[in-house]
Amino acid sequence: MAGFSELIKNFGKTRDYIRDFFIYGCKVRSDFDRKSLRTYSDEKRRVESWMGDYMRYDESVRGRSVSISVDSGHIPENPLYNAFYSKSFTDNDMVLHFLLMDILSDGKCMALKDIVDELNNEYSMLLDEQTVRNKLKEYTQEGLIISEKRGKTLYYSLSSDRADEYISSFEGLDDALKFFSETQHFGVIGNSILKTVGLNNDLFFIKHNYIIHTLEDILIPEILNAIDEKRHITLRTFSAKSRSVTDDMGREAQVVPMQILISVQTGRRYLAAYIPAVRRFTAFRLDYIKTIKKSTACEDYDELKDKYENNIPHCFGVSFGTRRDTGTVTPMKITFYADEENEPHILERLLREKRCCTLEKRGENLYTLTADVFDPNEMMQWVKTFIGRIVKIEGGTNDIIQRFNDDIIRMEKMYGGDRDEHIQ
Amino acid sequence: MNIFSEIYGTYFRITAKLLEKEVTDEKTIRDTVMHEGFKDTVLFLPQKLIPGSESTGLFKRTEDGRLRRITNDPPVKLLTGIQKSWLKSKLADPRIRLFMNDDVIAELNEKLGEISPLYRQEHFRFTDRFADSDDYLDEGYISHFRTALKAVKSRSIVYIDFVSGHGRQMSGKFVLLKMEYSPKNDKFRAYCFLLRNDRIKSSGIINIGRITNIFDTGRVFRTPVSIDDYFLSRKCTAPAVIKVTSERNGVERFMTEFASYEKHTVRDMQSGEYTVELWYDEQDETEVLIRLLSFGPVIEIMGPEHLREKARQRIRKQYEFIMQNDGNGTSE
Repeated sequence: MAGFSELIKNFGKTRDYIRDFFIYGCKVRSDFDRKSLRTYSDEKRRVESWMGDYMRYDESVRGRSVSISVDSGHIPENPLYNAFYSKSFTDNDMVLHFLLMDILSDGKCMALKDIVDELNNEYSMLLDEQTVRNKLKEYTQEGLIISEKRGKTLYYSLSSDRADEYISSFEGLDDALKFFSETQHFGVIGNSILKTVGLNNDLFFIKHNYIIHTLEDILIPEILNAIDEKRHITLRTFSAKSRSVTDDMGREAQVVPMQILISVQTGRRYLAAYIPAVRRFTAFRLDYIKTIKKSTACEDYDELKDKYENNIPHCFGVSFGTRRDTGTVTPMKITFYADEENEPHILERLLREKRCCTLEKRGENLYTLTADVFDPNEMMQWVKTFIGRIVKIEGGTNDIIQRFNDDIIRMEKMYGGDRDEHIQ
Repeated sequence: MNIFSEIYGTYFRITAKLLEKEVTDEKTIRDTVMHEGFKDTVLFLPQKLIPGSESTGLFKRTEDGRLRRITNDPPVKLLTGIQKSWLKSKLADPRIRLFMNDDVIAELNEKLGEISPLYRQEHFRFTDRFADSDDYLDEGYISHFRTALKAVKSRSIVYIDFVSGHGRQMSGKFVLLKMEYSPKNDKFRAYCFLLRNDRIKSSGIINIGRITNIFDTGRVFRTPVSIDDYFLSRKCTAPAVIKVTSERNGVERFMTEFASYEKHTVRDMQSGEYTVELWYDEQDETEVLIRLLSFGPVIEIMGPEHLREKARQRIRKQYEFIMQNDGNGTSE
């Protein structure tokens, strides 16, 4: 018990642990070799405390494995929001929060000295002016308090925007909050409004719901600020391979942020950015970014943004390939078989999922997709969802076609061809 | 402005709730903390509120042993700057029109005044969202959505005409349980029970975009229905059992992509392979199958037999295409 708190100061440290519990689902204590066992125990206990019934334990010869098991399509509220609601604070923070709200609640506009006097006289709370001034300044930045200078003195009053009044005044806002609180972007903020007024989402479930994304939301406002201010950012990343190695500092890179890319099928989000050092665009996975820091202004931001807008239509997903400029790409042509009469849904699938590619009818029940993309390899996972219908692949690179063929031959053996030993 | 702040925190929220009443007692404090807090909150928060050596002094003990707040009024429920910025961004989202009329949206926009939006739609790009998303600007769609949402809230019986996924015209009386949204499809659907003679006949799911007519019958379905029973009725009878290897970063890729599913994972220390049991809605079986096949030989579907057999048939067909191409050199 001693020394343990279920509240945290540092969000980044916890992000890492939650991700491992959530994604891998079967790690035991000894797998977390980056941290001391004490740190592991504390982090595990915190996550257990926040996640409640979503924790799962399995005994194995290697020890007790801990995981977060959530069927995220069947939950009304993302349990990982609890990580955001766990910021530590001091007793003074708590007292000042509720007393300042109380002192100013009747619409009064007061100077610092009068507030300090009232805290002392009316509530018997002896707090120095500096502490109260700092809190008033912080709450002014948070938008809870409005400050106004009269002569040389700052006067403070409460913001007039009340969550409960908004909800009763604007018809439909409650249902909109219930929906947007569980969807991108920044659903946690909508959830915080619902919680303020004691409402819960009792209407919506979200399919294909990657709840882990919320942990990355902590990074995004700084990125968006940098985009709007046309600045560089310095980001610190750790790679997938070094996650279990002792190097906890990660690698630093200075980049020019362009856009947040979201894959709703693979569960990943990325920062698309230009790296001046190598003069190319790339996409950084948000879950591998530890920290973001706004940096110097980027003088040629508009020019880079134009280049980015020219490039991005040639990305099938997030890969800009290895070339520095748009240049020539060998288009890839993939021919699919779809029985037009009996399988119209296949053609519908191709049309809705083809992204930047073009689709043409090539013959009876044959359709060819032409992909003029930077990295044809990136398409192949999607192409493989059509296994059994891929009549022909042309263009791209020989390696890609060879690998596809090799994969199918391996799978044919794996599944036993006509003699499947697993299902005899 | 940062959402990771104690002002949104669970401890402050519980305290605000307890400060709503002028007088309370220790039991109410502990019960509220147990009910609203995290698992361990009861070990940390009550002593900050109940008078004693660790108390913050927000409550004083009365002569009859109860607890009186030191504040004069219940805490105000203020919107913070980041919450208002977020609302401003949502007003630019076309889906807001599903919930609010244009005049209400305009009023709220005016109320928010000069607040900058937290984000703009162009800050984000969905790379692989399906192209046939619902049309949120279509007045007919909005009307159907609102009728369906109202029926979910009131549990009223609705009559619906719709076109099924196979293109057949369907109709019937339904009770709607919840709405579902998929960011991948960018579509709304409604979980429902089909009624025959006012009794539940079967469970189903209807795309809002496929509804051609919907009206409220004005009658409420009073038989208790459980969303858990609904999900259970649609769950696969046996989970897909998948062997995942570490080849091509397969474990990380698989676990991330299938993170949204209920699953149970076991690692074989000898081989380094993972065996994953994956539960899914039976209606989604084809979607699950093609996503599994997209991992190629990095994973193997071990069971159930019918799922493995479907995979085998598709692979067999593909193998035949490759062999044909190999014969005439068409694969490059």
